Amino acid sequence: MRTSTKLVITIVVIAVLISIFMLSSWHTPTQQPITTYTATITSTPTTVPLSGMINGAGASFLNPQMQAWASRFYEITGGRIQINYQSIGSGAGQAKFKEGILDFAGSDPPLKSDIYNEFKGKGGIIQFPVIIGTIVVVHNIPNVESGKLRLTGEVVAKIYMGEIVYWDDPAIKVLNPELNLPHEKVIAVHRSDGSGTTRVFTAYLSKVSETWRSKVGSDFTVAWPVDEIGNGVGAKGNEGVSAAVQQNPYSIGYIETAYAYSAGLKIALLRNADGNYVLPTKEAVASAAKALVKVLPRAYEDWSHIFPDETVDPPGRESYPLTSFSFVILRQVYEDPVKNAILKEFFEWVLTEGQKPENIVEGYEPLPPEVAVIGLDGLKLLRTG
Amino acid sequence: MSSEKIFSIFLIAFASISLLIVTGIVISLIVNSYPIFLMDSLSFIFKSVWNPVKEDYGILPALLGTLITSAIAISISTPLAISLAVFSTEILPMRFREFINNISDLMASLPSVIYGLWGLYVLAPILYQYVMIPLHQYLGFIPLFSTKPIPTNLFTAGVLLAIMIVPFASSVIREAYSAVPYYLKEAAYSLGMTKWEVIKTMLGYIKSAIFAGIFLALGRAMGETMAVAMVVGNTFTLPKSLFDMGYTISSLIANQFPNAEAYNHMIPALYGGAFILFIVGLTMNLAGLYWIKKVMSKG
Repeated sequence: MRTSTKLVITIVVIAVLISIFMLSSWHTPTQQPITTYTATITSTPTTVPLSGMINGAGASFLNPQMQAWASRFYEITGGRIQINYQSIGSGAGQAKFKEGILDFAGSDPPLKSDIYNEFKGKGGIIQFPVIIGTIVVVHNIPNVESGKLRLTGEVVAKIYMGEIVYWDDPAIKVLNPELNLPHEKVIAVHRSDGSGTTRVFTAYLSKVSETWRSKVGSDFTVAWPVDEIGNGVGAKGNEGVSAAVQQNPYSIGYIETAYAYSAGLKIALLRNADGNYVLPTKEAVASAAKALVKVLPRAYEDWSHIFPDETVDPPGRESYPLTSFSFVILRQVYEDPVKNAILKEFFEWVLTEGQKPENIVEGYEPLPPEVAVIGLDGLKLLRTG
Repeated sequence: MSSEKIFSIFLIAFASISLLIVTGIVISLIVNSYPIFLMDSLSFIFKSVWNPVKEDYGILPALLGTLITSAIAISISTPLAISLAVFSTEILPMRFREFINNISDLMASLPSVIYGLWGLYVLAPILYQYVMIPLHQYLGFIPLFSTKPIPTNLFTAGVLLAIMIVPFASSVIREAYSAVPYYLKEAAYSLGMTKWEVIKTMLGYIKSAIFAGIFLALGRAMGETMAVAMVVGNTFTLPKSLFDMGYTISSLIANQFPNAEAYNHMIPALYGGAFILFIVGLTMNLAGLYWIKKVMSKG
């Protein structure tokens, strides 16, 4: 055979092999986890430490913190346990968890009630907060400094409804008598991609404004009334919102706190349920979390009616209204005892050692012990099927 | 078996694989999108609503946004692409040609997120300051420029797309231009034509390649996701002027797909959008082909 023919044949063989490989890996997700789960019991004479790998995915908000926990845990277990987490969005995380592809899901809102009920017949689930995040309302009014503009939930709702159009609207002026607010249109920036941040933010607007609740509601994406009058801007991701607020003078936006700090955006004070104007300081977040402890369900219960619709804008003199949790969702029953034990070990660590300042990524706040205990109690329910 | 035979068998095999893939894509578009058409019938195309809370979806603003941004992109990029192709093959000294062509090809291969970032942070503010504000101030009475602009809108997206697709169109035109038989050019010069007249004749000769280049570029413009999503404004409203913010079907899919699984009807709705985009693209290509045929038969 001539060399050219040989070459062609070699290329073809390689191509066929690649396509077979791709086809087979394309088939796997429906039947088994994306990455096959390898659990080997390493034999050390005295104790028998578990080793293996678990796969989770979901909320992008949780991602930086989860990666930090995963790599820290990998270190302290001497590489025994590997946690994979992929940032695919809360909605996709829940859907994949439902399909049984994931060992655990990360999500900004807790499990939707229909998925929760579906799992009830299959041994149930547990879901618990692992970290606190906050959302800030930011603005770009050139002559107003950060931490000076005072806003209430009602006013923010009216801005996003398109009912308050100018910054010198009486409703804003009355909150800020000392500020010289310009007669400029408020450009309302919002997320264009589906996002847990939007879910929490719109839950807040629904809680403080009856009009918002009945006309718009709360979800990963909503139909923003302010877009109708041409004063809304949609931007993709926290980075996009940050850029849109910076580029549009006289704009307002909502964004995860860490991004607001890193981009140097101006943060507005929000009036809390007790009538005080607050920023997301450590104390304000701790106060909010404490106030919530009373209303939070147990890990095995359905949280979908409580969080975030009931938990935003908690009472308390110092409480910050846009305080939110990120959740981890587990099944109660795992057939594999090793996987079961690893999940327990890892999340127990996350809820105790993982909450110490040295393991918390900047921009997140640790859970107070009263909230962490929800997860620790829940983990006791894990069992092998 | 002779090597000739083996070779032709492989050719057939690979050709049919690519045909199968295309058919597969069309089938999966239809299968995944029919629930939305079943639910909303054709009103899915003519409604202007994207409300996941109520699970109500209609694609019209995104469809219009796609058509508007692509139209802006094509009308800006066509003259640029032709000029660049002629300039680099006809006017430019030989030793710079390779350099310019390489740069142009490099531009075509840049990831679109880079264009998006550049568009958002560099292009949008410049267009806003020096193009949109003056246009709105002095020509605001024309409906096209009637909206008071903000930096990210359909116009910015259209201009960014134009910049992105110039290298595509230009490289097709350039290849065709340099493939014109040399004797044709010699004949033209020997008739006493000026350089401009020669170029005109040459361009007439490669008309079909010019159309092909433009349609290739149009396809890319309609399908662009990331870069557009970053500069188009992403508001789901019917655009009234070029300076309105809007959406395109591709950027809608890029924005909404990650969390679409949280809803019952959003995935069919997004597939429905993709299917309509496919139909629009197909129609345009067929119309283009028909037109080229007509032009060519006239000579």
